Amino acid sequence: MADVVSVSALLALSSLGIYFHSVFVSITLGFPIAIMGLLYRYSKTGEQFYLSSAKKMTAVLAVNFALGAITGTLVEFGLVQAWTGTIIAISSFAFLPLTFELIAFIWEIATLVLFIVTLGKISPAKSFVILFIYWVFAALSGVLITTVNSWLVAPWGTGAVPAAIYPFMPEFGDAVVDVQKLVLIKAILLASGEPLHVILQNPEVSSKLGIILSEPAVAFNTPYNLWSIVHNLTAAFIVGMSVALAGWMFAYSRRKDERYLSIAKSFFPVLLLLLLIQPTLFGHFMGEQVVNYNPTKFAMMENARESYSNPLVAIIAYGDPNHLIVGFDKFKADCDKHGNATVGDLLNSIGIAKNDIVSASKAVGVSIEAERLESTLRLKLRDVCIADLKKAEERIAIVHAMYYTKIGGGILALAAVIAFASVLYRIPVLSSVVLRIMGERYFLISLLTAAGAVISSALGWAVREVGRKPWTVYGLLSPEELVNANSIVLSPVFISFMALVILVIGTGGIVAMIIVSRRFGVIK
Amino acid sequence: MIEAIGFYGMGLSLLVHVIFVSITIGVGLITAIYRWYGYKRNDRYYENFAKKGFRLMVISELFSGVWGTIITVFLAGLFPALMALATNVLFVPLLIALIGIMIRIPSIAIFWYTWNKVSPKIHSYIGFVMAASGFLIPFGFRAVFSEINYPVAIASYISTGIVSPFEAFISPLFWVFYAHTVFSALSVGGFVIASLMSIEDDIRGVEIGIKYGFVFFILNFLFGMFYWLFLGSFSPYIYNAVTVGTYAPLFVLKLLLIFLLFFIVVNANSAILSGKVHQHTKYAAPVSLLIAVIGEFMNGGARYPYMVVLGSEGIEISSFFNYYIHIPEYLLLVLIAVLLAAIVVFLLAASYALIKRYLDIPVAEEAS
Repeated sequence: MADVVSVSALLALSSLGIYFHSVFVSITLGFPIAIMGLLYRYSKTGEQFYLSSAKKMTAVLAVNFALGAITGTLVEFGLVQAWTGTIIAISSFAFLPLTFELIAFIWEIATLVLFIVTLGKISPAKSFVILFIYWVFAALSGVLITTVNSWLVAPWGTGAVPAAIYPFMPEFGDAVVDVQKLVLIKAILLASGEPLHVILQNPEVSSKLGIILSEPAVAFNTPYNLWSIVHNLTAAFIVGMSVALAGWMFAYSRRKDERYLSIAKSFFPVLLLLLLIQPTLFGHFMGEQVVNYNPTKFAMMENARESYSNPLVAIIAYGDPNHLIVGFDKFKADCDKHGNATVGDLLNSIGIAKNDIVSASKAVGVSIEAERLESTLRLKLRDVCIADLKKAEERIAIVHAMYYTKIGGGILALAAVIAFASVLYRIPVLSSVVLRIMGERYFLISLLTAAGAVISSALGWAVREVGRKPWTVYGLLSPEELVNANSIVLSPVFISFMALVILVIGTGGIVAMIIVSRRFGVIK
Repeated sequence: MIEAIGFYGMGLSLLVHVIFVSITIGVGLITAIYRWYGYKRNDRYYENFAKKGFRLMVISELFSGVWGTIITVFLAGLFPALMALATNVLFVPLLIALIGIMIRIPSIAIFWYTWNKVSPKIHSYIGFVMAASGFLIPFGFRAVFSEINYPVAIASYISTGIVSPFEAFISPLFWVFYAHTVFSALSVGGFVIASLMSIEDDIRGVEIGIKYGFVFFILNFLFGMFYWLFLGSFSPYIYNAVTVGTYAPLFVLKLLLIFLLFFIVVNANSAILSGKVHQHTKYAAPVSLLIAVIGEFMNGGARYPYMVVLGSEGIEISSFFNYYIHIPEYLLLVLIAVLLAAIVVFLLAASYALIKRYLDIPVAEEAS
């Protein structure tokens, strides 16, 4: 099995790429809302200022889209080239979402190009419609990618397979997988110590294994996915729009031109509405899904090494103030319920004998040493369960800290956006309080909104990803099992080089967008 | 049947990708060269000419990238075993292509937004980096194509179990194939520019396009011949299918189109010498693109029913196909249709950008 330290470094590299991608994706999703607001104002007033502002934002959006495409390519290649084992998910659970995503992506780019080249040349209403279509496809792309990610976090359709090893885990819907084949693959990986890639790369392997998933659309039909989509996409809209707001308020702070405030008014109501409901309502429903389907993540978020009582958290999470916050002690107790049962016993219970593993491994071109196979079959399920729990437990402090910093970021964004609204619209009482404390510091307040939104969004994603460790597919597959079999991918030289590439492109891209917005924001 | 739909669906994506990628690579070099000439010779025509070329390049680059992504997803979703094998054995070629993409897109953005904002010398250097990055991408990806025509690295891996990172590059077929690809793209770039300039009745532009197109057309023809002969030695199955088999009529058609293009070039050149733009010059672009597409179609399609060709036989497409789920045939057909429909919107945008010239590069009138 791959070196754990190197795999962790590769995970960090992937996170770096995903983070830069998410910055650009947020702007891709948030900026069009602001541009549509400007076009609407332009169509109503005919003031050129709104059109030139829309063009300026479009210039930034164009650079941002290019950067999103580059980092998206990096993430895509990262997925298949670094975590090659995920190909089995791409060709099964993720097949339909990714197929539809292709459609969304190509229409997204076609309509964006059409919008850019026709902006200012056709009526604002037509430009509005083209941009709206682009935005719908961009959002659809986000929906479909979130669907794939949600399946990794809550592998719907695998039924009680994860719970067979980890009894504290829930059932992930009805089993629409071929349980025997899935477990057989896992057994071969355990017994061979090889990553999944070694199996997948053999010609004929797919026809030999045959159907492993009977319901390819299963990734769509999950409560976890529904709330992930709502929660993640609205977070992206908020980040994109709050960055736009801060940008315009920076211009206002420099030039004191009241028209910049009217630009803010053209999209601020949407930002305000989203920030009022996203962290509160959508965040709550997302949290409920975590409680239901990611028990270890919830325990990590709430620092529950031991189960404890906290009526406030309990009523939000379980709807019962007397419910204990379930901690790792309870999970370990669940692992103990395995008693002396072994991996071999589990395999036997679903009709897989030792010979089946040997013949299956030969069929898929993987060699297994007899001794190693024996020791794998003798492995106690309790030990496997406890060992993985310990790996999760090691991350409690970081996940807990990130989660509560995220909450802090959300509160900051919420407070700042209310403050901004009260300064912008002069709400009785509230405005006088805010103006006494903050004055008319539009830029500062908008910056706090954006900072809070970015902190909350970035750490929210980190909690989502780190919180499901030690698994990449929750309860089923670890990063060590999904990594590329080629040792280059884990070499320090490769990881350092790619990190440098991502940093240069990411930071250079952000600087480029700032330059475009300030100096070269003209597409004639 | 589903395997064939997947195979030809992926092939179709490849053909669309090849059209746009040939334009973007070919035009990219000409753009960089004439931006340099504009600076060195202080000629505003050259700079504006480079600007026109760049506009074309930006538009085609965006779409070529999308179709590249489509190919990747097709490959991972429909041919998972091939993707898994390639990401192991051909890790380095794929990485080289990825690095090329990483340099290419930012350099285009930088070239765009620094026009007239940095010194012309620096801007020209950025242009050359942009142009050079275009050659790095096929350097990686053509190694993959070379391997499925004549496996060297894959064969070595299967026999030894060890991945040699650079082994794909010792294949003689790769180098000829790569040269053929690059010269084809450069030739297409020249002819596409010549066609666009002929629509504008810009005789200097037509002359430049025809000159570049023709020089690389000759080199492309030579390396095309070498490639064909090399296929005879290293990949006889494809060679036979193209020369005497199912694809022979297409091969003949390609040769006829080559003669037709030669005829167009001769006429265009004669007209230029007499200070005119020949009316048939506008056909240079579609004919050269058709030649490139037919070439790619033959190279990809002639392997059928094999995905990896091993001399006179091969490993069948079905060996790599995705049987992990049931994929309905109609789903793939609908997917392909919807993807192709997006081309209509794109062509509409491209016509606005290129013919109506809505998309201007911010190289203001004060350009040197």
